[in-house]
Amino acid sequence: MSPTTAAWLALACPLAGTIVNGLGYKLIKGKVPGIIGTVALAAAFVFAVIALLSLQGRGAEHRQLVSSLYDYAATGTIDAKLSILVDPLSILMMLVVTGVSTLIHLYSLAYMSGDRGYTRFFAYLNFFVFSMLLLVLAGNFFLLIVGWAFVGAASYLLISFWYRRTTATSAGIKAFVINVVGDIGLTLGAFFILKNSHTLDFLGTFSQAKALGANHHGDLTAGLILLLVGAFAKSAQLPFHTWLPDAMEGPTPVSALIHAATMVTAGVYLIARMHPLFEQSVAAADVGTIIGAVTLFVAATIGMVVTDLKRVIAYSTMSQIGYMIMGVSSGAYVAGLFHLMTHAFFKALLFMSAGSIISAMGGEQNLNKMRGFKKAMPFTYGCFIIGGLALAGVPPFSGFFSKDEILLVQAQIGGWHWILYVVGYVTALMTAFYTWRMIFRAFWGEPNEQAQTLIDTGHVWHAHEPTNPNNGEVEDTDVGFPGPEHHIAEQALPMKLAMGTLAVLATVGGIVLIPKTTTWLDSFLEPTFASSSVVHQASDGKLVLGLVLGAVLGLLGIFIAYTIYGKANGEIAQGLQARLPVLQRLFVNKWYFDELIDFAIARPFAWFGRFGQQTFERIFVNGALIGGPSTLVRAGSAAVRAVQSGFLRAYAALLLVGAGVVILYFLIQSS
Amino acid sequence: MSLPLSIPLWLPAAAAFLGLFLPGVASRVLVILGALGTLAWSIWAILDFERSAKGLQDVTDQVWIKQLGIHYKLGVDGLNLFLIALAAFIFLACLVWAAMKEWENASLFFFFLGVAESAVLGALMAQDLALFVLFFDLMLLPFLFLAGIWGPEATRVAAITKLFIYTLVGSLLMLAAAIATGVLVAQHSGNDISFAFSDLAKTPLPKGSQEWIFLCFAAAFLVKMPAFPFHGWMPDGYRNMPLPVLAVFSAVLSKVAAYGFLRVVLPIFPDASAHFQDLMLVLGLGSILYGSAMAFTTSEARLVLGYSSIAQLGFIVLGIFALNGDGAQGAILQAVNHGLVVAPAFVIVAYLAERTHGSEDIRDMGGIAFRAPVLATLFLIVTFANLAMPGSSNFAGEFLILLGVFHSKLVIAAIAFTGVGLAAVYSLRLFIRTMHNRVGAEVVSRDISFREGLVLVPLVAVIVALAFVPQFALKKGAPSIDRAVGKAQLITQPEITAVK
Repeated sequence: MSPTTAAWLALACPLAGTIVNGLGYKLIKGKVPGIIGTVALAAAFVFAVIALLSLQGRGAEHRQLVSSLYDYAATGTIDAKLSILVDPLSILMMLVVTGVSTLIHLYSLAYMSGDRGYTRFFAYLNFFVFSMLLLVLAGNFFLLIVGWAFVGAASYLLISFWYRRTTATSAGIKAFVINVVGDIGLTLGAFFILKNSHTLDFLGTFSQAKALGANHHGDLTAGLILLLVGAFAKSAQLPFHTWLPDAMEGPTPVSALIHAATMVTAGVYLIARMHPLFEQSVAAADVGTIIGAVTLFVAATIGMVVTDLKRVIAYSTMSQIGYMIMGVSSGAYVAGLFHLMTHAFFKALLFMSAGSIISAMGGEQNLNKMRGFKKAMPFTYGCFIIGGLALAGVPPFSGFFSKDEILLVQAQIGGWHWILYVVGYVTALMTAFYTWRMIFRAFWGEPNEQAQTLIDTGHVWHAHEPTNPNNGEVEDTDVGFPGPEHHIAEQALPMKLAMGTLAVLATVGGIVLIPKTTTWLDSFLEPTFASSSVVHQASDGKLVLGLVLGAVLGLLGIFIAYTIYGKANGEIAQGLQARLPVLQRLFVNKWYFDELIDFAIARPFAWFGRFGQQTFERIFVNGALIGGPSTLVRAGSAAVRAVQSGFLRAYAALLLVGAGVVILYFLIQSS
Repeated sequence: MSLPLSIPLWLPAAAAFLGLFLPGVASRVLVILGALGTLAWSIWAILDFERSAKGLQDVTDQVWIKQLGIHYKLGVDGLNLFLIALAAFIFLACLVWAAMKEWENASLFFFFLGVAESAVLGALMAQDLALFVLFFDLMLLPFLFLAGIWGPEATRVAAITKLFIYTLVGSLLMLAAAIATGVLVAQHSGNDISFAFSDLAKTPLPKGSQEWIFLCFAAAFLVKMPAFPFHGWMPDGYRNMPLPVLAVFSAVLSKVAAYGFLRVVLPIFPDASAHFQDLMLVLGLGSILYGSAMAFTTSEARLVLGYSSIAQLGFIVLGIFALNGDGAQGAILQAVNHGLVVAPAFVIVAYLAERTHGSEDIRDMGGIAFRAPVLATLFLIVTFANLAMPGSSNFAGEFLILLGVFHSKLVIAAIAFTGVGLAAVYSLRLFIRTMHNRVGAEVVSRDISFREGLVLVPLVAVIVALAFVPQFALKKGAPSIDRAVGKAQLITQPEITAVK
C-alpha cells in the first residue's frame, strides 16, 4: 500500500466512526458507541503505521508525496484541491495523534460510561481526530484552513459537551471565537503568500521560498506573522491563550486529547511545516520565538498559584507549548517536534490521572479540597508521579531530553537567545515546583472525606446533590450533565490500560533522540527538513551544562514543592503570598489578560451594538424619519385594512404616472 | 435545446392560477407540482449547461412592444443558472412547508406564492432591461399581500406601508434610470431604441450619464437587499411575514438585487461602477459591521437572521465591487449559499417557536437540544454554514470574495475579516441561547417529526452536499461571471487584466 493510500484510509476511519455513531445513535446501545469509536481510531493508527513503513521503504529523496482527489475550489487565481501531503513530518504527527487518541478513546470507554451523552461524545471525539488528521495531512493552504477550523469546531463541541452548564457554553463560545480569530489570521496570511506565489499548494509555494524572500520580503513577513496569529490562537500562546484554561470545562478525556496532546500543538506543526518560508523572514521567526518564550514564562507563573487541578495542568500545557513554539521558530525543528511527542505522552497521562482523582472527588476540581489520595488510589498516584517526573524534566524520563534539546539550540544560536536560555531554565524550575505541588497536595497528607470513603468502603464517593463545581448550580444528572457514575482508574480496566501504556511511553519516550546515543528522530525527519539552511552543531560543553542544569533544576523544584506542600501544609507559600501581594494578585488574576480583552474588544463591540439599537434602529428605523410616512398612512388605515388591494392600485398608479413623466421627458429630449 | 424558457418560468404562476379554482388540498398539490416541475427543469438545465458556450443559452427572443424597443427576451448563462435553481428549490421547499400548515383563505395564499415564484424567475431570466424592471417590481407585490393579509393583525399595515414606501422609491428610481438608459443609448448609437442587455452593453454611455443612472440602480438594489443604511423596512417587514413566506423572501429576493448589479450595472455602466467602487465597498463594509452588531444585540430570533442577512449581503456587495473575477464568482456562490442557509434557518426558528409556546424570543428558549438531538444537529450544521466555517461552501464563497477585495483594496479586505469573526459570535449565540444552556420556562422539547423533517432535511442535505463540491457551482459560472465584470475590471485594474 502506498503511503498516500494509507493516509487517506487513516483519514477515513475516524470519519466513518463519526458517521456510524452519529446516524445510528438510536440503534447503538450500551458501550457499543465507545467500542466503535475506539476501534475506528485503532484502525487509523494501524494505517498510520502502514504509511510509516511504506514511506521508509522509499529512498530518502522520494519521501514527500502528494495525492489529490479532485478540484475543491479552483478559479483563475486559486487552485484549491482536495490534496494531502505525506512526508515524515505529517507521518510523525499522524502517529502521535492516532496513537494518543486511541488510548484516550480507550480511557473514555470507561470514564464516560454512565454519561447521558455517551454516543454523542464518541461521535464528537472521532470527528475531532478526523479534523486533526486533515490538518496535519493537508497539502495546501485551503485544506489546512479547513482542518484548522474543523478542529476548532470539534473543540467547541467538546468543551461545551455538558451544554446545560452555562459555564461550559460560555467557555465553548470563547474558545470558538478565539479560534476563528486564528482562522482569520491563517486565511489572511495565506492571501499574502498566495499574492506572490500564485499557488495554494505547499510544495509549490516552498519551491519558490527563496524568490519570495528576495523579491517580496514585506508581503512574506506580513503573511507569516498572520500565520503566526493562527498558530498562537490554536496553541494558546499570548495574547490568544485565555480560552485554554476555560476549556477545562470539558470532560477530562477531552482535556487530555485536545487541550494537551494534539490540537494545541497544531501551531507547532504549522511553523515546522512552513519552515522554508520562516527561514526567509528573520522578523517573523523572531516574533514566534519571543512570543513562545514570553508565554512559557507567564503561563508557569500562573500555574504556580492556580488552585483548580485541571487548570494547573492547562497552564502547564501553555507553558510547554511555549517551549515548542520557541524551538521551532528558532530553527530547532526536530527538538520542538521531539518535545511535542513526549509532551503528548506525559501530559495526556497527567490529565488522565487528574481525571481519575476528579472522579473520586465527585467532579470537584479544587486542589485545596483534595488530600491524601496516596493510599486510596495507588495506581493513579504512580501514574501521576511518572507524568510529574517527565514534566519536571528529571532524567531519564522523556521530558528531560526533549526540553533540554530546545534550550541547547538557543545556547548554540547565542546572542540574545541566551536570555531565552535563562528564561527556559528558570521556568523549568517553576514547572517542577507547580507539578509537584499538585502531587503533594492531592496525594499526601491525611485522607479527606472522599479518599477515606474509598479506603473504607472501596466505593467512590458521591455527592448528595450534584452541583456545578464552578458556580454551585444544582444539576440534574439525568439530562446531559456529567453522569451519576464516577469512574477511577483503580476500578476500570480500560482506564488502567490506557494510563499504563502512556506511563511506559512517558518514561522511555526520550529514547528516540538521546544526545550522543540515538538519532532516530533526527534521521527520520531529515527528508522534511533537508532544505533547511539552519544547522545547529552543539558543542559538548554546552550539551553537558544543559543536561546537568535541567536535572538539577528539576530536582530542586521538586524539593521546594516537598518543603512547602509535602512536609508542611502550604504555610510557607501563604506567607510568601502575603509578603508579595502585588505579584500574588498579578498571578492569581492571570496577568489580567481576560480583563484586557474584555476591555479592548468585547465591551466596545457590545457598546456599538447597543448604541446602534438605541439610536439608529430606534430613530431611523422605528422612529420619526421612517415612522412619519407610516403614521400618515396609519390615519387612513381603516380604509386600507378594508381593501388590501388598494395598495396594488396605488402602486400601479404611481408606477404608471412616474413612468409616464419620465418617458415624456426623454421623448421631448430626444426629438 | 428544446424546452422554451417560458414554460418553466410561467409554470408556477399557471399552476397557482388554476389552483384558485380547485378545492382545498388539491390547490396546494397543484402549486407544489408546478414548483416541482420548474425545479426539475432547473436541475436538468444545470446538467445540460455547456460551460464552453459563449453567451446565453436557451434564448427566447421576441419583440414585445416594438415602438418602445422592449423585447420579451429570456436566457440562461453562468450568471443566473444557479440562482434560478436556488429560487426553484427554495420556493418548492417553502411551499411544501406552508402546505403542512393551515391558512385562512389558503388557495389565495398559495396563488400569491406561485405568482411570486414566476416573478422571481422572470427577473432572473430576463435579458431585457425593461422586462427585468417589470419582473423586479412584480415580484414584490405578492409579498406585500402575503404580509398584509396573513401577518399579525396589529402591526401588519404599518409594516407593509414602510416596505411599500421604501421599495416604491427604489422602483421608481430604477424605472427612470432604465428608461433613461434605453433612450440615451439609442441617442448615442443612432439605432432604434432597444432595451435588450446585449444592445445596451454595445454602446457605452458618457461617464456623466452613467454615474447618475448607476446611483438610481444602486439605490433600488440596496433597498431590496437590504444594505445598511437602507434597511429601515427590514425589522418590521420581517416581523410581519409568516415564516414560510419570510424564508422565501429572505433567501431569494435579496439575491435578485445582488444579481442585478452583475447583470445590469457592471456590464452596462462600467465607468460608473469603477467610479463608485469605493463608495460601494464602504457600504458593503458598513452592512457587515452594522448588521453583525445588530444581530448580536437583538433577542428576536428572526431578526438575528435578518440582520445576519444584512451582514452576509454586505459580503456579496464587497465581492461584486471588488471588480474582478474572484470577487464576483465568490459573490454569486455566496448568494446561492446564503439562500440555502437562511431558508432552513427560518424553518428552524419556526420549529423552535413551536417548542416554546410560540415565542420567538431567544430569552424564552434554551436547552431545547436535550430531547431533540436531530434538530440540534441540523441546526448546528446550519449555524456552522452561516458563520462560513471553512469546509462549508459558504467559506469557499467568502474566501473568493475576500481574496477579490484583497487584490483590489487591501484595507477594506482587512476590515471585512472582522465580519468573519463577528459572524461566529452572533451565529453561535443564536445556537447556544436556543439549544443549549438552562431550559427555558415555557420550553417543551421534542425532536422533529417526520413531517418537519421532510422540509428541513433536504434543505440541510443540499448545504452538506455543496460543502463537498463548491467547485460544481464555481466551474459552470466562471466564464459568464468573468465577462460580466470584465469591462469594469479593465478600468480599475488594467495591469491585472493585461497579464491574463
